[in-house]
Amino acid sequence: MLQEESDLSLVIAQIVQKLKGSNLYAQLERQAWASLQRPEIKLESLKEDIKEFFKISGWEKKLQNAVYSELSVFPLPSHPAAPPEHLKEPLVYMRKAQGSWEKRILKSLNSMCTELSIPLARKRPVGEQKELLNKWNEMGTDEPDLSLFRPVYAPKDFLEVLINLRNPNYENGDSLSFRTHLGLIQVPLKVKDIPELKEFFVELGLTTGQLGIDDSTQVPPELFENEHVRIGQKVLAEQDSAAAQQYIRQGSPTALRAELWALILNISSQPEDILYYEQLKTNVIQHDLLVDSLIYKDVKLTASNDDYYFVFEDYLYQVLLCFSRDTSVLGHFAYNSASPPKSYIRGKLGLEEYAVFYPPNGVIPFHGFSMYVAPLCFLYHEPSKLYQIFREMYVRFFFRLHSISSHPSGIVSLCLLFETLLQTYLPQLFYHLREIGAQPLRISFKWMVRAFSGYLATDQLLLLWDRILGYNSLEILAARAYCQLL
Amino acid sequence: MSRVSVPCHVKGTVALQVGDVRTSQGRPGVLVIDVTFPSVAPFELQEIMFKNYYTAFLSIRVRQHTSPHTPAKWVTCLRDYCLMPDPHSEEGAQEYVSLFKHQSPSMTFPKWLSHPVPCEQPAPLIEGLPDPSRVSSEVQQMWALTEMIRASHTSTRIGRFDVDGCYDLNLLSYT
Repeated sequence: MLQEESDLSLVIAQIVQKLKGSNLYAQLERQAWASLQRPEIKLESLKEDIKEFFKISGWEKKLQNAVYSELSVFPLPSHPAAPPEHLKEPLVYMRKAQGSWEKRILKSLNSMCTELSIPLARKRPVGEQKELLNKWNEMGTDEPDLSLFRPVYAPKDFLEVLINLRNPNYENGDSLSFRTHLGLIQVPLKVKDIPELKEFFVELGLTTGQLGIDDSTQVPPELFENEHVRIGQKVLAEQDSAAAQQYIRQGSPTALRAELWALILNISSQPEDILYYEQLKTNVIQHDLLVDSLIYKDVKLTASNDDYYFVFEDYLYQVLLCFSRDTSVLGHFAYNSASPPKSYIRGKLGLEEYAVFYPPNGVIPFHGFSMYVAPLCFLYHEPSKLYQIFREMYVRFFFRLHSISSHPSGIVSLCLLFETLLQTYLPQLFYHLREIGAQPLRISFKWMVRAFSGYLATDQLLLLWDRILGYNSLEILAARAYCQLL
Repeated sequence: MSRVSVPCHVKGTVALQVGDVRTSQGRPGVLVIDVTFPSVAPFELQEIMFKNYYTAFLSIRVRQHTSPHTPAKWVTCLRDYCLMPDPHSEEGAQEYVSLFKHQSPSMTFPKWLSHPVPCEQPAPLIEGLPDPSRVSSEVQQMWALTEMIRASHTSTRIGRFDVDGCYDLNLLSYT
């Protein structure tokens, strides 16, 4: 009992500390001061009256949504003796593997830098800055020579690293047993089996209505669709994040999706947010980064060639170039097993006061990265809002798809979940694919790493991403990959 | 009420095996770690803290002297406390663990370890009835910690990625 109390105190303290630096805190303070003018606020019962005012005016709900958001994103405080790296990733061998993988990426980027004689970062001359500012909304028309650039890595390179992951304390033995894992992933992470998945995804059961199935033209809308839309509108009117997250498990009506996602991710476009985005844009104008060329190359190779997404090419540059400059993204490395690459100002090697992260947001894009942004362009057309939504999706979910960790939503667990489902419930298919040299994971890996973006029609994809938000988990991707092979 | 760590000597693990210890087949699933306390001054043990490495279940036994004339006897304080819900998977395998005095209903410590005289033994020995003064002081400590954290500076970033306007970099460092 005592341990739970002290755990709760720690969680509360952590959330309070985080929220204290937020816009919401400043707004609440201003509102509290302003409310003193109101006749119903009495000095004798000041605290209670202000609390009541917050409840009626909807500010309490905003605070609830912010707290809910923190709880969804940040892991619970761990044991006081646990060092920060334990929070990033508890298993030592996984941390080591992630470190080696990162070193390879850095070496690759450094050699690209020296081979092409291009600096990692360069301040643009004024003329170039003006030019870029003028064509900010049509950067897609640019055709820079990107032939010498190559992506830093592709998903298949990453898969090879995951296949070679080994727990030094785990001995599989030479003899085959019912525990032998015949797939590519050889680390014994805990993954859900079908009964556990059924319980976790209970709202996806056959007896519960789903958008994407029960709203098809043959089904009369009175049976499910109309009521579901009505409830969605009510959830939006209440502005309750937790209710929205629960609601969206059954899928979101197209007309309500943009607002629902923004509510669940706790994104509201305040003037400060628009200003922040403009500041990022200024950073892009002022400095040219090597990473920008990687982004250009990626967009040209992937999204521009896609029938659904090529129209959004300009938006993608506007989001991804700004994303690279955003230092607020560095915060997510506290719970990401990855670490941001580090460098020093030229001539100040080793001096800590001249140490910087590169790129400023610490994320090096890989081949296909722009596909995380592309589907969002269907929902959001205002660049700063599109940007905020993507950033939140990245620091909540997408980062787990390209870092090595033991987290249940991490790509390693998703791969193992996929393989285990297949081996357990479709053993003949699994065995046959192995025999013909087509390990099923090699087929499905690229689907999962991209969260199926580019591999599903957009309406199907958005319904899938509804469930990622609804269940706050990426496990649906492994289940979807398994279903694809059924 | 300040807490200090007690110096202790942790001996190497000894495998519990039936039969010939030398054979490498038949790997034992039970290992024993002896912990001795070199200091003779009495103390009140509150918490045992360690980092797990693939142990699934933990039992703690303590050798207790009840009086100077009777021989010491072994008492089980904790039996099969689960550290890993599924021993064949990674859950809990490398976690930091704390065991507190109140967690075990029969968590008694030998007379020579605990400072108060037996009749003054605090109520945690009786299951379900923690000592009120101890509970309130622990909660007070936690709230003091909460207030401290609340008063400290917030952790928002300012947003600059350059150093005084300069972002001209060396190559990336490998640490």
